[in-house]
Amino acid sequence: MTVLRAESVSVSAQVQGVRLRVLQNLDFVLNAGSVLGVVGESGAGKSMIGRAVAGALPDGFVLDAGRLAYASSDMGTMSAAHRRSLLGREIAFIPQEPMAALNPALTIGQQFGGHLARLGMSDRQERATAMLEAVHLRDAGGLLQRYPHQLSGGMCQRVLIAMAFASDPKLVIADEPTTALDVTVQAQVLRLIREMQERVGTAVLFITHDLRLASEICDDVLVLYAGRPVEFGPAARVLAHPSHPYTRALQLSAPVMHGERRALFSLAGQMPGLREFAGLQGCVFAPRCPVVQPDCGSVVPGAVNGVSCLYPDAVDRIVVPQFLPASPASSSEPVLEVSGLHCSFAKPGLFQRNRVVAASDISFRVDAGEFVGLVGESGSGKSTVARLVMGLTLPDSGDIKLSGDLLPASGGASRRMRLGAMQMVFQDPQSALNPRRRVSDIVTQPMRAVGSSEDEMAARVEVLLAQVGLSREIGQRYPAQLSGGQRQRVNIARALCVLPKLLVADEIVSGLDVSVQAQLLDLLLRLRAELGFAMLFISHDLAVVRYLCSRVLVMHRGQIVEQGETEAVFEAPQHDYTRSLLAAMPADI
Amino acid sequence: MRKTGWKLARRVLVSVPILLVVSFLLFAALRLLPVDPAAMSLPPTATLAEIAEKRHAMGLDRSIPAQYGIWLDEALHGRFGTSISLRRDAGALVANALPATIELAVCAMIIASALGLGGGVLLFYLRGTWVEVVGDLGTILLLSVPDFMWALLLLLVFGVLVPVLPFMGRIDPGLSVPRGSGFLLFDALSAGDFAVLRSALRHLALPALALGMAFAPAIMRVLRSSLIDVYHEDYIRQTRLRGVGEVRILLGHALKNAILPTLTLMGVQFGFLFGGTLLIEVIYGTPGIGNLMVDAVRNADLPVIQAVGLSYCVMVLAISMAIDAMVLMLDPRARAI
Repeated sequence: MTVLRAESVSVSAQVQGVRLRVLQNLDFVLNAGSVLGVVGESGAGKSMIGRAVAGALPDGFVLDAGRLAYASSDMGTMSAAHRRSLLGREIAFIPQEPMAALNPALTIGQQFGGHLARLGMSDRQERATAMLEAVHLRDAGGLLQRYPHQLSGGMCQRVLIAMAFASDPKLVIADEPTTALDVTVQAQVLRLIREMQERVGTAVLFITHDLRLASEICDDVLVLYAGRPVEFGPAARVLAHPSHPYTRALQLSAPVMHGERRALFSLAGQMPGLREFAGLQGCVFAPRCPVVQPDCGSVVPGAVNGVSCLYPDAVDRIVVPQFLPASPASSSEPVLEVSGLHCSFAKPGLFQRNRVVAASDISFRVDAGEFVGLVGESGSGKSTVARLVMGLTLPDSGDIKLSGDLLPASGGASRRMRLGAMQMVFQDPQSALNPRRRVSDIVTQPMRAVGSSEDEMAARVEVLLAQVGLSREIGQRYPAQLSGGQRQRVNIARALCVLPKLLVADEIVSGLDVSVQAQLLDLLLRLRAELGFAMLFISHDLAVVRYLCSRVLVMHRGQIVEQGETEAVFEAPQHDYTRSLLAAMPADI
Repeated sequence: MRKTGWKLARRVLVSVPILLVVSFLLFAALRLLPVDPAAMSLPPTATLAEIAEKRHAMGLDRSIPAQYGIWLDEALHGRFGTSISLRRDAGALVANALPATIELAVCAMIIASALGLGGGVLLFYLRGTWVEVVGDLGTILLLSVPDFMWALLLLLVFGVLVPVLPFMGRIDPGLSVPRGSGFLLFDALSAGDFAVLRSALRHLALPALALGMAFAPAIMRVLRSSLIDVYHEDYIRQTRLRGVGEVRILLGHALKNAILPTLTLMGVQFGFLFGGTLLIEVIYGTPGIGNLMVDAVRNADLPVIQAVGLSYCVMVLAISMAIDAMVLMLDPRARAI
């Protein structure tokens, strides 16, 4: 039975005389009991499908062509009251940020109870408890008394899944439901959605940017690019043997966990913005397509067997270069030696001052030109280690040696020694860049501090921007005028300004699309070959670490539980925790 | 719950040093004024020697910190000195006048909260309509009208032009006041004397409204803007996706979050509101500590100024503590920290 069907659906808004289309010619069928994945990079319009179903399109946007039908009713012409009667009852949503999606001022019980009351259930306490047990939450009764901030992200998501499935819905729309979660929790949540879905035969629309996740959970997938469907079909076929150049490029952009390490495919350019693709002719992907043909720019490809490409056979010609990221010579001397580092924080209390241990007995070294990965879940102490190395947090005990010299624990000397030798690249490029300064000012900030001349700085800006692959004009822009990938390049350029021996990078590719991530990873490798810096690379993504780092440190509850050559650790993990991390990684595609 | 109790207890403890500092500053400032309490408390025929002797007896020849020490010791025993002009105990004068002021302030706060919160929710609910545009302009206009201006306007309109409400004192002169706490509304209620209650309420209406209206617009604007912020949060979107209706989302889900920043602002505002009672009392002839203060300042009646100043400080601290307690009650995250 078909639950959701789209027939040439188009969603657009008329803005200043231009028709902006976020979705165009969308066709798909979602049957009861199956999971349809919608994949694509940010800006592809994935979330718009869910918003169209919810009747919550952004201001000005309307479903202006085609038919989006739930069961037999047209969602385009449905009255608001009718739609609202379906929401929460027959159609349920699982959000992206579980901690933000629960009301902080109400208990779980109040929110769950309110929902069940709306569904007209009388035995609310028992029903809520039963549902929380069904999503494998322990002490369900006690949980109802608690507030969202007292729960972890994974627990919040389980609560939301329990609420979504409480009405035995016909359709569940999950928009990036695991993006905010740790990899082990992500695996559990995926299993849970699948389990709940099978229990009542719900149809699930699973929106994700991660092809590996889609291949784990989905029966069918729909690949979107710039609001247009480029490929639709069974997940096994689409993701294992893509027939569209875009799907193929995405597949080859993602680093792999198993088998031989392969170089990443670098998809040039970026997804056009809404205004840009209003004027595009022919195939929307043509400007970035690695196997573009002359007529791609003028002929709009129709879907044949779900593939919207004039030359589907051309995908076989998309290949990755043969080189492997070179590991540095193993005989080099250490840049950073950390031994016996211990760090704890006071937990505020009225009388008893509890101390929380954030990192204990941390010892490792990073050699010149070596990229070392630091992996672990949120709260494992990864970022604390980064802050300790940078001197942003002071350790209780332990030594840090920089190129063989022992750093004083604190004070001006310690800061000066660090300043020229190590730099940090922060996770969120948006908040790490001062929005009121131009890029040229941002990247040369360290030089201003030591009193370099304007000419020197201008020359340095040019070199740095070229090194990170940005054009000269970017120097005059403000961070808000850049894309996420460009901002992260600026972030890296700023860190490289003083030619440090060591970069400390905290989750610097985690918020980025896979094609942008591939570009940045290769940029880092190229810059190392040019400049020879070492890097402590913090990440939750083991595949990225495997691609980039020759050695890896695994952190768990403030301790390094395992360290060694990346290949060796990932092939034959010694610690249980490493094993569970590896097992939770979605399979390669 | 225990944690919350401790937090409030800590808040009370912190207010002790605040009171000490304020009382010292007040004392020092008053002692630096070029007035001589000794000379003032003696008949005009007193000789210089007598004045010097009196100064010594009053401790006025000692250092200001030492004098403060004497005052503090007395104050801790409930003695705030004798009014120079009225020859009565300053503490008793304040205690007699305080209920009128508190009654006025509390009524004004209730009016300000009702108008501010109700108006804020309404303005938000009607967002995107012409009502919002008009309301927005209206609140900006209202924000610029100070409390004494309202007092004069209301007095003129409802007291003089259309004389529907009284505007002098606390009660009709013909009525006998029931004895008790000094809080007229409370005393009248507990005595079951509805004539007095009605008269007292009618007398309070104009001053309380004047004061309340001056403080309502700011509350209104903050509540509306924090509601706008809350509506950008994921949990509101998620609630809507569960099919919950708009009115319910607003009152059942958004308001409880949006009210927190508003409460904090109200704490600050109500501190100013106590200051506002002074002019209002003068305009409406309310026998509260505002009028007492004005008379005391006119007569350089130092003990009374000191006692009244201190009671303003205590009231401001008390209201901010009450607001803190409300925030703790409403915000589970504040309780956890």
